[in-house]
Amino acid sequence: MQARYLTSTALAAAVYAIGATLAIAQAPPGMSNIDKSDPKASKQDTNLRPHPTPPLATPAEKLPVDKIKLPAGFKAEVWSSGHPGARTMARGDKGTIFMGTRVIGRVYAITEKDGKREVKVLLQGLTQPNGLAFKDGSLYVFAINRVLRYDKIEESLDKAPEPVELTATYNLPPEIHHNWKYVDFGPDGKMYVQVGANCNICEINPGVHGQIRRYNADGTGMEIVARGVRNTVGFHWHPQTKELWFTDNGRDWAGNAGPEDELNRLPKGQEGANFGFPYCHANGVADPDVKRPNPCAGVVMPAATLGPHAAGLGIKFYTGKMFPANYQNVAFVARRGSWNREQKFGYDVVIARPQGNGKARIEPFLTGLLDNQKNEFYGRPTYVLEMPDGALLVSDEQNGAVYRISYAPQRSAAR
Amino acid sequence: MKRVPYLAPPAFALAALVLSALIGAGAPAFAQTMLFKDRVEQCAACHGADGNSTIENIPSLAGQPEFFVMNQLVLMREGVRPVEQMLPFVKDLTDPEIMALAAYFGMRTPRLEGTKPDPALAQRGQALSERLRCGSCHNQDFSGDQQMPRIAKQRIDYMAAAMRDYRDNKRKGADTAMSAVVFGLSDADIDALAHYAASK
Repeated sequence: MQARYLTSTALAAAVYAIGATLAIAQAPPGMSNIDKSDPKASKQDTNLRPHPTPPLATPAEKLPVDKIKLPAGFKAEVWSSGHPGARTMARGDKGTIFMGTRVIGRVYAITEKDGKREVKVLLQGLTQPNGLAFKDGSLYVFAINRVLRYDKIEESLDKAPEPVELTATYNLPPEIHHNWKYVDFGPDGKMYVQVGANCNICEINPGVHGQIRRYNADGTGMEIVARGVRNTVGFHWHPQTKELWFTDNGRDWAGNAGPEDELNRLPKGQEGANFGFPYCHANGVADPDVKRPNPCAGVVMPAATLGPHAAGLGIKFYTGKMFPANYQNVAFVARRGSWNREQKFGYDVVIARPQGNGKARIEPFLTGLLDNQKNEFYGRPTYVLEMPDGALLVSDEQNGAVYRISYAPQRSAAR
Repeated sequence: MKRVPYLAPPAFALAALVLSALIGAGAPAFAQTMLFKDRVEQCAACHGADGNSTIENIPSLAGQPEFFVMNQLVLMREGVRPVEQMLPFVKDLTDPEIMALAAYFGMRTPRLEGTKPDPALAQRGQALSERLRCGSCHNQDFSGDQQMPRIAKQRIDYMAAAMRDYRDNKRKGADTAMSAVVFGLSDADIDALAHYAASK
């Protein structure tokens, strides 16, 4: 038996090898220590940086609603304001609009009374509670690294009840960056949860980061439904095919031209499919910094690209009765707008019109919040929500407001 | 955000009204709770009379972007960024007071206090900083901009402690981008970065 004759040198080598394995294992699982992007290769203005989000709301009279442009017959009005950091929206059974935020750490409850909106700060002091979902009378709140369920919430909006803590059951990775959550219940009744890549561009452990997962509502039964997803902050299911569609924000510091953000479709029966990060972006663009042979092999290509650094966030398919028939089953996608791009891009809401072949065509819808000539923006649409009357709510994080988009057929004289 | 020059206390009540009209107020009350001069003295007790802190691990505020100070004070008041020593001071700060304090400290001249930068460490920090792209957010001269703090001439001990907190997930209510930047750095890397920033 060879083992008998192991010399002390061989033993030392074996111990060393085990030691080396341990040293790697001690590093956070699968994470690169450092962003792999090459500052010099991007040829971008090195002073590009994220735009600040004001923690105080814009006064109602200064809201940029007059700048909003829509197709003929559509109208925008201020629906609510005075709630800084306005982002995600989830509607309760009794009509409360719950609103999640990022840096300001609040969850708002917006109710309607006599045709006016009342805004309450329902929760505060949370770490980026962007993930909200409502089911069976309970509000699920996903902050970074914290999952809370508030039962019978609409019966106690003045003082939120003690939550049921689901953090341990969901057991989400502790990394912070790209881990503000987007969540929603799917048609299968499961809770779908985003887990972003904790970097701009780096190698990730596909078993941990860069995923969409689904769970039973109580946090058990985790399954990975999509991998190689850099940072999705919005998803929804096609009303007819029930397939999952999701936005995914492309990497930064690889040039002003992209790679473009993605609008992805998870084809039925392909749960667990790979969407390319970090090796393959957009419509098959190989990453310039993190390389491997055949980077796009086996990668599901997007249904559409959403433009360079556009920051596509919220998406909802429209099934309401108010808008014209050709808006049935099209998706509205809010694009918060670029930072890592010299000429600003996005700051709008677009339509993604499914083409029947798994692809979608992108068309403009809500524009006017970006002045291309001045290279300035006036608002940042983040999420959309269809109301029971068929109107569309659009949240504006920059101004702490929600706009209501409605449609009324035009009389021929007005044309 | 436009710079607002330092306003003497008598002028402040008016300034507060103007500022609140410009910026708008969140949920908190409008009422001024104490004289602006006394508020400044409260801050100065730890952060330095001219906004340059001579106390270990207390950051300097001199020359900080107004938005940065305003934003952090709001987040501390909200409880999003709970800093125990700050809680008694921020809990009843009004929005206009916050705006005025941010403007006041923004106008002070930054001066390095505490440990002096070690040239060899600073040089190593410079190389790291280029790789981590610190200057993209903090400005190439590290003077800060909007929500990004000035780090030039900031106290070395404070910056090193702050970066370690970011790395170890102990800093609450922070911009997540910083967590990504310092991810996986060693203590030695962090010290080098702090020495370099202080030296600018």
